Amino acid sequence: MVDISRTYSFETLLIHGGLEPGPAGATTVPIVQSSSFAHATAEELEDIFRGRKIGQVYTRVGNPTTESLEKRLAILEGGQSAIATASGMAAITTAVMAIVRTGDEILSSSSLFGGTFSLFRDTLSSYGITARFVDPTDLAAVKEGINDKTRLIFLETIGNPKMDVPDIPAVAQLAREGGVPLMVDATVTTPYLATGKALGADIVVHSTSKFINGTGSAIGGAIVDMGRFNWQSPKFPHFEQFFKKYRGFAFTARVRKLIHKDFGACPAPMNSFLLSEGIETLALRMERHCSNALQLARFLQGQPQVAWVNYPGLTDNAYHQVAKRLYGDKFGGVLTFGLADKTAAFRFINGVKLARNLANIGDAKTLVIHPASTICADFGPEEKRLMGVGEELIRVSTGIENINDIIEDFRLSLEQL
Amino acid sequence: MNLTVNGKGAIVEGKDSLDVNALLVELKVEQPDYVTVELNGDILERENFAQTLVKDGDTVEFLYFMGGGSR
Repeated sequence: MVDISRTYSFETLLIHGGLEPGPAGATTVPIVQSSSFAHATAEELEDIFRGRKIGQVYTRVGNPTTESLEKRLAILEGGQSAIATASGMAAITTAVMAIVRTGDEILSSSSLFGGTFSLFRDTLSSYGITARFVDPTDLAAVKEGINDKTRLIFLETIGNPKMDVPDIPAVAQLAREGGVPLMVDATVTTPYLATGKALGADIVVHSTSKFINGTGSAIGGAIVDMGRFNWQSPKFPHFEQFFKKYRGFAFTARVRKLIHKDFGACPAPMNSFLLSEGIETLALRMERHCSNALQLARFLQGQPQVAWVNYPGLTDNAYHQVAKRLYGDKFGGVLTFGLADKTAAFRFINGVKLARNLANIGDAKTLVIHPASTICADFGPEEKRLMGVGEELIRVSTGIENINDIIEDFRLSLEQL
Repeated sequence: MNLTVNGKGAIVEGKDSLDVNALLVELKVEQPDYVTVELNGDILERENFAQTLVKDGDTVEFLYFMGGGSR
């Protein structure tokens, strides 16, 4: 395994960080497609269960292929440890349920991915957990939103599909002052734009199905513990036993030994392999996703049929300055734009030949979707407004094809509106 | 010195005492960055590993939060 105590650059860590040599000199991680793991003696298995010895037991709780992925993800975020899950929603559910209990509150960004919004508003509320939604770019509202019951602040690095860009280091400071952890969904940005460590997050969650996988071939999620939050607090009595025994690893220990083990949302080893493969080309792909998205956004801005374009890479975008400060000159692969109305939006989607009409982001292929009628269809007008989803809006996940072909596809479809 | 390590007797040849970091190396403890060390029933702070001496007769437990999970 590459010694990460040497300061390798991000691109090199993507390929070598955390990857150990496989059997017979294999250079990719072996797919250990086994549900369970046998041990020579009863004493050995007892030691593993007691935590005295490191060993595999059962793939729901741990698997060598998945563990390799976890090591790589932790290194990439500058984190202490990581837990891979079956999906991005499994990562959020597991991580959040490790922290909040009945009667607790989550202070959440109002501009969330629809699945997360639904989890917080509908599912968790039925267990007595309340989510308070605030505009994450309004720091005064975030500060005011923290109360005695708040146990977690949750936001997305770049809101999907609102495309707002919260000042995460500033929110992290407010979280520290409030004595609560900051959990950040970094799916849209990936550690290529900024690591969780650099942003000041306490916990980073991912849908690894998106840019980390990169080819739309596997569903997965990840929870990365930055190891910086002090869980020894009267706000978190349920962490006491884990803090006492595992100190800085209290969060990871509670997730791995209790919540993840009990919820059981483990990834298939095959998917862990596919996600590991994706990691190696993340930087190359993200570089192209970002440059293609910027060129596409600029093209769309000049088209008479397009009412508006929302992409933080555009210099006149409301979030351009904060995005530039946090992410340098990289603004991700996702953008949204508006046409005249829903009819025009549907005509546009039906008119593209190259871009695929589907509910995903982060694929090598360019993807388009009309969120109001699909991924946000279950939400009412007020919720859609909070999420920045109008009937005229189209979300684009810009792929890594030749940009001239993407622009030509969009140009031809706009012309036939 | 003679120690009890994870419930079993262990002999460290030629040493009367060792700091915890040195003991992790001496006993070839797996994944030393992730291990929790309990000395005579007390969990040690990681930042105190270098100053904490383990002596003859001590009981030491090495514990992993990934137990039952990761290799």
